[in-house]
Amino acid sequence: MIAGVRPAIIPGQRWGTVLRTINLKLLHMVPVLLIVSFATLALLELVPGDPAVSVLGADARPEDYARVREQLGLEQPLPERYVSWLGSAVTGDLGNSVVHPSRSVWSLIASRLPVTLQIAGMALVMALLISIPVGMFAASRVGSAFDRATAASTSGLISLPPFVAGLLLIYLFVFNPHVPRWLFLAAAVLGAGWLAWYTLRLLRSHDLTRSETTWQVVGVGAMLAVGIGVFLMWPSFPRQGFSRITGDGGIGENLRTAFLPALTVALTEVAVFARLLRSDMISTLQEDYILASRAKGMPVRRILLRDALRPSSFSLITLAGVSLGRLVGGTVIVETIFNLPGMGRLIIQDGVIVNDFPVVQGAVLVIAVVYVALNALVDISYAVLDPRIRRGAA
Amino acid sequence: MSPDTTPGAIPETARRPALFIGIAGLVAAVILVWVGTAGLSGSDAYVRAVLVLGGLGVGYLALDRLLWRLFGRKVQTDLWLSVAWMSVVVAAAALADVLPLEESRDASASFGAPVTQRPDLFSAHPLGTDTFGLDLLGGVIYGARLSLQISFGAVAIGFVIGGLIGVLAGFLRGWFEAVVNVLTDSLLAFPPLILLIALMVAVNPTVVNLSLALALLGIPTYIRLARANTLVFAQREFVTAARGMGATRRRIIFRELVPNVALPLLSYAFIIVAVLIVAEGSLSFLGLSIPRPEPTWGNMISAGANDLRRIPHLVFVPATVMFLTVFALNRIGDRARQIWDPRESKV
Repeated sequence: MIAGVRPAIIPGQRWGTVLRTINLKLLHMVPVLLIVSFATLALLELVPGDPAVSVLGADARPEDYARVREQLGLEQPLPERYVSWLGSAVTGDLGNSVVHPSRSVWSLIASRLPVTLQIAGMALVMALLISIPVGMFAASRVGSAFDRATAASTSGLISLPPFVAGLLLIYLFVFNPHVPRWLFLAAAVLGAGWLAWYTLRLLRSHDLTRSETTWQVVGVGAMLAVGIGVFLMWPSFPRQGFSRITGDGGIGENLRTAFLPALTVALTEVAVFARLLRSDMISTLQEDYILASRAKGMPVRRILLRDALRPSSFSLITLAGVSLGRLVGGTVIVETIFNLPGMGRLIIQDGVIVNDFPVVQGAVLVIAVVYVALNALVDISYAVLDPRIRRGAA
Repeated sequence: MSPDTTPGAIPETARRPALFIGIAGLVAAVILVWVGTAGLSGSDAYVRAVLVLGGLGVGYLALDRLLWRLFGRKVQTDLWLSVAWMSVVVAAAALADVLPLEESRDASASFGAPVTQRPDLFSAHPLGTDTFGLDLLGGVIYGARLSLQISFGAVAIGFVIGGLIGVLAGFLRGWFEAVVNVLTDSLLAFPPLILLIALMVAVNPTVVNLSLALALLGIPTYIRLARANTLVFAQREFVTAARGMGATRRRIIFRELVPNVALPLLSYAFIIVAVLIVAEGSLSFLGLSIPRPEPTWGNMISAGANDLRRIPHLVFVPATVMFLTVFALNRIGDRARQIWDPRESKV
């Protein structure tokens, strides 16, 4: 069927297609989740050690071990254990942790998931806040010094292993705090200086209207103000630990403890996001309607923000969603370096190492659900945002 | 990575200064780095850091100029530096037993050596020593050997298994492809580091086991790449021609598709090796890879992390080597993909 022949959008049909996409995606989730949870159980079988020993300690009587194994259902064959676990998991019961003191797996996850989600969410926001202006600016001046510096630093950041990045940030922000502090001030002053010089040059060639001049001057002032303000109020970051929002310190203390872990995670993401936005934006900027805008004499800032950013951001949105899903299960390293009570350390230290299989199974299932659901959500939102995909799916 | 802004011949008058500037810059860079590392020992650490970093920057720009002058503007300095770095790492790893290195593994044999000596390029321990007096240069080189063995082994296993499954899925289609897709998605939905950690808790950390575990991590990527490339090639004329001549399915797969899919897949190998080196380093950092006394980059960094404030070079020496290796592999991989991946060049 040729796409152009069809009537463009029939309201009812349009949402029907989207709904069908959603159904397909949800259907696809089921086997993936089944396989992941079964694989987790099978994998735990491989891990040496007896859960009964974790419960009773090393010197109980053999018949006690046998009794505990019976209670935990360990005497049944693997498929049967899986089916009975699945049966209660479907009804929302993930069981209790084996290791003393026994707690419900749900309550363990409920105390850990917010930490991981906060780190992942903050990292994503930081990465977007840095990468969108950088990517846009690099794309608007392909081949310039700024563009080349961006290319070099993104490939550097991509090659930085997360645990090295974490230690580097600790060395700079915790042990030598005046280095990043002065660097930040220097960057702000240099940026403001460049903007001022650029404005003066435009003024001399009479390319600026009065309101634009005002905005440029406001921009210079804002850069200087932010630079000096952050420099003066530079907080001291802790080496490790985490303060919950509900804790004594409130939200300020919470952000202070979450900042470095989130920045560590964000560093890699920034590089990937900035590269993606830059390349998408370069191809958008070659479109005819951008040329038309330019010919009309629209200012560059307006073309970039109003005309080019939205159509260039589709793949960025996709990638951001996928990244968030990946990060929910992928912050183990950062949690270890900064000693955070997140999902990764729940699975490793309270689960795999001490053979607490209900904890591992429940936590991996939750992570997999979040991951698969976010991926599906991204696909669906993509279909809603971009009419071409929608039509292609029908 | 300097793009060509003004193509065409460079006038002779502009070329001669480029040569002088290049050579002078290189000399200046060597002097700066020397002053920063050895000449000013005892002075402020920040001054030294600025001198060394500045020296390296000047050196890179000067080399860029020099190569530009000698081989024309299309030369990619960072690519050639990456190739040079990887050659050095591979050669050092291969010759580790022959090189005159100080003791880096057995703490009882490093008895008289200075403890936590700072890097000094002109001493017996160019990259310094750790808290047991073990040589960091030796540790980094033996670590390179393990990292390269493990990650190249893993990529080789993943390449063969994943590649074959991917080609079959892309060629046979139907239910086989559907099953493979679901399995790949499941493997990708599993948090990779947690899968690795669970596997490594279950088995002994040896080179072979680590390679197998990391291969499992790379297989879904290889399946997807092989399938995508097979879909491209399966529609080409030569496959149709082979079908028309009555070739068997096995012949089409192994004689027509595999040779064509192998090259683009291989071009991804460098990037996957880089990812796996980081993954192995992470495991090692968590204490789940090859343990001491064998030095790996990850366990060296992990051992130094406790003394990060007092003796930073214990972390930053192996971290820098690891970073440079991953960077070089990524850079070479990007170029390899541009050359060999048909989907990349057909824009």
